[in-house]
This record gives sequence, structure tokens and C-alpha cells, in this order.
Amino acid sequence: MSKKVRWRVLLILVVVLGTVAGYVLTGYQHARKEWIGAGNPPLKLAMKSGIKLGLDLRGGIHLVLQVNTADALKAERDDAVENLRNQAREKSFTLGDFELSGPSSFAVNVSAQTDTARLEEAVKRFLGDWSYNVVGGKWVFQLKDPARRAAEENAVSQAIETIRNRVDEFGVAEPLIAREGVDRILVQLPGVDDPKRVKDLIKNTAFLELKLVESGPSDRAALLAPTSGQVPPTLDLVEAKAEPGQRQDLYYLVRKSAVITGRDLKNARPSRTGQFGQMGVTFFLTAGGAEKFASATGANVGKQLAIILDNRVQSAPRINERISDQGVIQGSFTAEEANDLALVLRAGALPAGLTYLEERTVGPSLGADSIRNGITASIVGALLVFIAVVVYYRRAGWNAVIALILNAILLAGAMALLGSTLTLPGIAGFILTIGMAVDSNVLIFERIREELRGGRAPKTAIENGFAKAFATIIDTHITIVISAIFLFQFGTGPVKGFAVTLVIGLLISVFTAVFVSHTIFDLEYGRRAHIDTVSI
Amino acid sequence: MELFRQTNIDFLRWKWWAIGASWLLIVIGFFGIFVQKGLKFGIDFAGGTQIALRFAEKPDIEHLRKLLDATNLGDTGIQRYEDPAKNEVLIRVQQQKKEGRDVTQDVMTALRQGLATGGDPSRVDLNVQGRDALSGRLLAADPDHLAGGGSNENPADHYARAAERIVARRTQVGIFRSPADVEGTPDVSQAVKDWVKANTNAGPFVVLSAENVGPQVGADLQKKALWAVALSTLGMLVYIALRFRSLPFGVGAVVALIHDTLITVGLLALMQREFNLVVVAALLTLVGYSVNDTVVVYDRIRENQRTPKKEPLETVINRSINQTLSRTVLTSGATMLVVIALFILGGEVLNTFALTLIIGIIVGTYSSIYVASPIVVIWKDFVEKRRAKRVPVKVVPPPPAEPALPKAAPASAEAPRQKKKKNRR
Repeated sequence: MSKKVRWRVLLILVVVLGTVAGYVLTGYQHARKEWIGAGNPPLKLAMKSGIKLGLDLRGGIHLVLQVNTADALKAERDDAVENLRNQAREKSFTLGDFELSGPSSFAVNVSAQTDTARLEEAVKRFLGDWSYNVVGGKWVFQLKDPARRAAEENAVSQAIETIRNRVDEFGVAEPLIAREGVDRILVQLPGVDDPKRVKDLIKNTAFLELKLVESGPSDRAALLAPTSGQVPPTLDLVEAKAEPGQRQDLYYLVRKSAVITGRDLKNARPSRTGQFGQMGVTFFLTAGGAEKFASATGANVGKQLAIILDNRVQSAPRINERISDQGVIQGSFTAEEANDLALVLRAGALPAGLTYLEERTVGPSLGADSIRNGITASIVGALLVFIAVVVYYRRAGWNAVIALILNAILLAGAMALLGSTLTLPGIAGFILTIGMAVDSNVLIFERIREELRGGRAPKTAIENGFAKAFATIIDTHITIVISAIFLFQFGTGPVKGFAVTLVIGLLISVFTAVFVSHTIFDLEYGRRAHIDTVSI
Repeated sequence: MELFRQTNIDFLRWKWWAIGASWLLIVIGFFGIFVQKGLKFGIDFAGGTQIALRFAEKPDIEHLRKLLDATNLGDTGIQRYEDPAKNEVLIRVQQQKKEGRDVTQDVMTALRQGLATGGDPSRVDLNVQGRDALSGRLLAADPDHLAGGGSNENPADHYARAAERIVARRTQVGIFRSPADVEGTPDVSQAVKDWVKANTNAGPFVVLSAENVGPQVGADLQKKALWAVALSTLGMLVYIALRFRSLPFGVGAVVALIHDTLITVGLLALMQREFNLVVVAALLTLVGYSVNDTVVVYDRIRENQRTPKKEPLETVINRSINQTLSRTVLTSGATMLVVIALFILGGEVLNTFALTLIIGIIVGTYSSIYVASPIVVIWKDFVEKRRAKRVPVKVVPPPPAEPALPKAAPASAEAPRQKKKKNRR
């Protein structure tokens, strides 16, 4: 064995053993997390769990949610309105009615007597994020673009944070919660088999608002009768939570701007609150929230305050006195419901509502079936290729078989080490790689045959075959890698897994088909100074 | 063994026939896509709900259909899934116009009520509920009497583990036919098993998967899929044009690639196969595969063009195709073997994926011989004819020194290449 060949063999051994060791170690690492028995998990489990499985193989829930960023803008707008009102009171200038025209705009009527210089100064100091223009006694405010984007941005990142808190409280191993695009959130919960419970927990925006009641509860027509069927611009019509046995839907007319929202909450816990010991949730406010709450309740003693959760009036107690830092949400909750509501309020209310765009649940048995089918197909496919190659190329065929087996081992190891996820299409990618990796061997072998036919000595033929096929092999690999990059860019979960498997497999196949295969030829024929025939 | 020993087939002789055949296939494909029933989009692209259920007994599809119709969910479909012996059905529900309805829950409730086996609905359904619900109930009932103390084990963990094992057992056996089936669960105390037997139901089905895709996501995905295919095609054009420093080669490869994609999609539409994400993944793989095949032939053409003797392009291309024929057939054959294995054994999801690749590989192999290369010939012929027409008009007063230069340049460029080739030998 020449020195050069010895080094190559050594390098191959190091790479293969390193990858195998890496696979087993990663396997142990993963298995330890799931192993509930005492001591170390058995090798068999470690061998099984080296590669992370995607949701489609493992079972679990995949959700795509959209953050309704308009909600966050409305909160921003309500803050601005509140600010302006406070300023008017403090600096003693008078303001007319507010009109809340859109999620990020509002208008205020300013009478001729108003000291506009003071108003302007207040706006400059406190409403810097708003642009305004005056249209005949009416000041129209519009949230500036950067501020609007920042508010939306904030809403999405806060929503992600909130969902993460809730999922953590629920206790899911290895959840994935990530932003997708501008206002979408991807949530993947592997191994979760209770979709309804989790979905409710996440979806429960727990968007809490406390608003002053103008009139209600009553049916829709009666409430809107004074305004001839129109909802007044400063008010909202909100449905009340239906009580058991209730005949018709009840509504409240409430002020549009909220006294406090879930953002002002510090803590929440379930408590027995009703006269008959029903369950409710007691909430505690932050210092800022308490201040706002105190001044609003103080100014409106005797009025009703609607406690609105996710756009449903839970209850509308009468304000008996000035309240500062805590309140109670009453409703006919069961103990479980009160518990879950307190949990979501505590974990942080979502800054904005969420809509489910996509939800996919895969049960554990489907995943198990898929793995079984995929593995059977892979083994049968690989065996067919091995047989074909050995029949066609005889001894050199075995050379290709070794290269292909190494390819499969290295691919599994690389996927474990890189922490990439195997999905069902990924299994297809795995076996497709075997079909395509054989291409490199075929290109080389056909070249060697041609060279032999051209009358060259076997050793030269082998060298030339490898040299001439190399450029083509690189070309063919690059084309597939290009398409895989676009595949990755396009794909969601399972399809991404396919692209990853394909690319890693192809990169490895350059190594196995060219480097390993060449070394095996050298090992076979390199020792002798002269050879007469090559079995190919 | 050798299948092709120095063949010398005049492939290009049949190029016009081949182009006719390709057009015919494309037209048939278009018929499938636009005229007949059209592409059958899966829920990935069309939106809607799709639920796969496994039943304990052979399901009565007509009865299930009636139950579904009663839910008022609009257009619904129900069909057998996978192997009929597995008692699995696939239910599809169209995209709902009004938001906020949990279609999956509605369908499951309707089916469970319609198929009620007389059990108490407040009990845990062993076949539908997951381990959290089960462990909650077990913890409340505490059949192992852990709450009173005496054990240093956390009761919540204890019952979570028991629930997990019972669910794992369900996965193993496929479906519980009755609560008594928990008897076979390993490592769970007899008290827990007895409690489960006495206090749970085994509903009529297990949920294999439930998917719900909203209209926005479907529309987004359609757009993304089109872009991905278009951009990767463009990427190929750029790569080939750069690599071979020749536009006709790039165009030839890309035309072959579009040809393959069109025919494959068309045939899928004709066969009324569902067009979903996984199929797009297969199509994008095909983009790579199709060009891969073409590149091997092109590489050979380029190499053969470097020989000193001037041959007509058609001869060079014919020789190159013949030289690579054995490789083309062998590689396609090997890939075909694995894809057929996937087609037969890979299960429902990978079935259409594999079919797409089977069609694609056949068409791709054909097009690398009969589409990609003839286009180079046709393009060059066309350009030369146009140039030949223009020549007499342009070269009226021939400047004496200039014509020598362009002729000298290619000659000098050719010389070192020849040397290189000799060195390699």
C-alpha cells in the first residue's frame, strides 16, 4: 500500500468512525430526555433516536396563527386618546367629542374658544408618534408609519412571547414557536396528542378589557333604538356571554376606549367569588394600571363597568367605590375553566387577537405507520439498486455498493450531528439520494469502460475514468443542489426536511463516489505494478 | 454485463418526430389541466379540512356520509384510504365561508354521536383522547392510592406515565376495540387497568391526522410554489448558460425542463391525482433531475467539440448521446428502482410523490436525448441561416486587415486546449 493510499484509508476511517460515534452520542443525548427509567437508556433506544423526527413522523400539532395587529393599533390609539384627555384636564383647555375613525386614526372636535397653542404643545409633547391636520375645527390624528410598524412589530413579538409562556406552563418538550413572515406565528408541538386542549389554551387570547357601560344589557334592537339602528361612533356593541338557559342574545353598549386592558395586569388567580361560592378569577394591576383604574372608577361611581374577555362581556358589575389595584372576573366558570383562565391571564394576555390559518394534527399511530412504510421502501429500494449494480459491474459493482452504504451511514450521522429533522418526504429524499448517488459511480465506471475499450492499460483507464468523470459529477450535483435550494426556500416543515436530506446526501455522495470509490480501486489494484484485467 | 456496446444510433434523424410527440403529450397534458376536470388541488393549496380516521369495524361509508351531510358543512367528501383491510377513511370538508367554526371537532362530534355505542359521553374516549385527559382523570380517581402519602412518588408523574403507556399501547394495537384491551399494556398496575376498564369508553375510531388549512395559506402556497418552480428554472438557465458559455445550451436545457414539468403536471391532472405540497417537492426534484441528465450529455458534446477535426454539430451530438446512452439508461434505471419501491411500499402520502417522479424520470430521460440536444441543433441552424442571409449585404467593402483577426482568435484559443487534452492522456 503506497503512503498516499494509506493516508486516504485513514481519513475515510476517521470520518466514518467519527460520524458513527457522533450519531450514537447524539442518540444518547436525545434518548436521555425521553427515558423515564433509572440509569442510562439502552443502546437500542439511542440508535433509534439519533435523528430528530419531524411532526409528520412523530405525531404532534402544527399551527400557523395570524396576529390581528389591528387590535394592537387600537390599544395604541386608545392610549393616545386617554393622554389627550388627561392633558386637556391638566392644562385646562377644552376638547369636544372624540371620533374613533379607524384602528390607527381618530379625530377630535375643537371649538373656537379652545386655546390651540396649548393643544398644539400637548400634542407635540405627548403625541409625537401621531401626525395631524386640521380640517375645519376638527383635528384628525393619524399614527405615523414608523410608529405603526413598531406597534405591529411589538404585537407580534409579544404574542410569540406570550404563547411561549403558555406552552411552557403546559409542559411540552421541545416546542417550536417562531415568527413566519410579517404577522404570522408558527407553533409546532411534537408529541402532543390533545389538540383541542392546546388549541384552546393558545387561542384563548385572554384579551381583557374593562370598559364603561352606556346601556344594557338588552337585546340589540332595544339598545340601538335611540340612535335609529346605528352604533354611535364613540361606542361599541358587545355581546354578553350566554348564560345557561338564556333565551336570547344580550348586548351591552360600552365606551370604545378601555379603562384598562390585559396589559395592565400583574397577576391573576382563581378564587371563590360569587355569593354561592362560584369560581371566578381575581386579577391584580400594575402600578400604572392601578392609577388609571383608580381615576376611572373614582369618576364613575354608580356606573356599570363591563369586564370584557375576548369581545364577550363576562360581567358588568356596578362601581360602588373607587377601586385601585384589583378586581374580579365573575362568570359561571367551572373550577377547571377558572384555573385555565387564570393561567392564560398570568402567562400574559395576548396583545392582539389570533386567527388560526392552518392547523395540522398527526396522531402517533400514523407517524409509526409512515416510518415503517418508509423504512421498508428504503431497504427494498437500496437492495434493488445494489443487485443491479453488482450484476452490471461485477467486482466494481461491490465497490459502488460499499460507497452507497457509506453514503447512507454518513448521511444518517450528518443529520444527527447537524440536528436536522427527518420528515416523511425526507425519507423519500434519503432513498432518492441512493438512486442518484449511484449516478456518480455509473459515470465513473462507464468512463473506465470506455478507456479500456480504447485500448488503455487498466491502471491508466481507472485514473482517466475518475479524472474525466469528475467535472460531470460536479455539474450534476450542482444542478440538483440549485433546485434543492429553491425547494428549501419554498417549503414548510416536511418539504424543508426533504430539501435538507437531499442536499446533505448529495454532498456526501461526492465524497463517497469519488474519494472512497477511488481509494477502494487503489487498494485493489494499487499493490501490483501491472494488472491485466479490471472486473468492471 | 453491458447493455449498450458502442452503439451508433442516429438519434437526431427522428428529431422532428420527437418534437411532434412532445407537443402531442403537452397538448394532452393541457387538456388534463384546463379542459377536463383540471388539477385536483389538495387542501394545502385549496384550503379546507381533511381528517383521516381508523375505525375498529369496517365503516359503512354511506352511513358516515349521511352523518356528515347533517353537519351543514357544505361540500364534503369521504373515501377509503390506504389498505381497505385497515378500515381507514379520509374525510374532506370544503373551506368554510364563515370563520370560527372548528370543523374537525364538529365532524368528530357528529360521527361519534351518530355511531354511538351506548357509552356515557362524559367518560374519556380512549381512542380519541390523549394522555393529558387520561392522566387527569386517573389523577382525580387515584386507583393506586398514592394521594394518602406513604409513597415518595409524585402521583401526577405516576399517572402521566401510566397514561403515556396506555396511549403507546393504543398506537401499537392500532385501535382499542373495547376498554378491556388495556389489559395488554405493560408496566401499568392492575388497579389502573381495572379503573380504565370500568370508567372509560372505547369510541368507534382513532384520529390518524386532522388538517385544516385556511384560504390565505392556500393562496400563499400556490403563489410560493409557482415562484419556486419558476425561479429554480431560471437558476438552471443561468447556471447552464454560464457553465457552457453558450445560450443555446442553456435554452435547450430549460426547454427540456419546462417540457418535463408540463407533461408531468398534465398527466397528474389527467389521472386526477391530488396536487399537494409533496407533489411540488417532487416537481422541484424533477427540475434538478431533468437538468442533471441533460448536463451529462452536454458535457460530452463540449468535450467532443474540442477535437481538432471539424465535424457537423449533428454528428457530434449524435456521438455524444450514444456515448452517454449507457449511463443515461443505467442511472435512470437505478433511480427508477428506488422510486418504484417507494411507489409500492411507501404508503399513501409518498405514493403520488413517487408517481410524479416515475413520470418525471421517464419523460426526463427522453427529453435529455430528444429535446435538449435537438434544440441546440435547431437553434444553431436557424442562427446560421440568418447569418448566411445577412452576409452579402454587410460585407460590401471588405477592409483588408479586419477579417484576419476574428479567424486568428478562435484558432489560438483552440490550440492550448488541444495541448491540454494531449497532456492528460
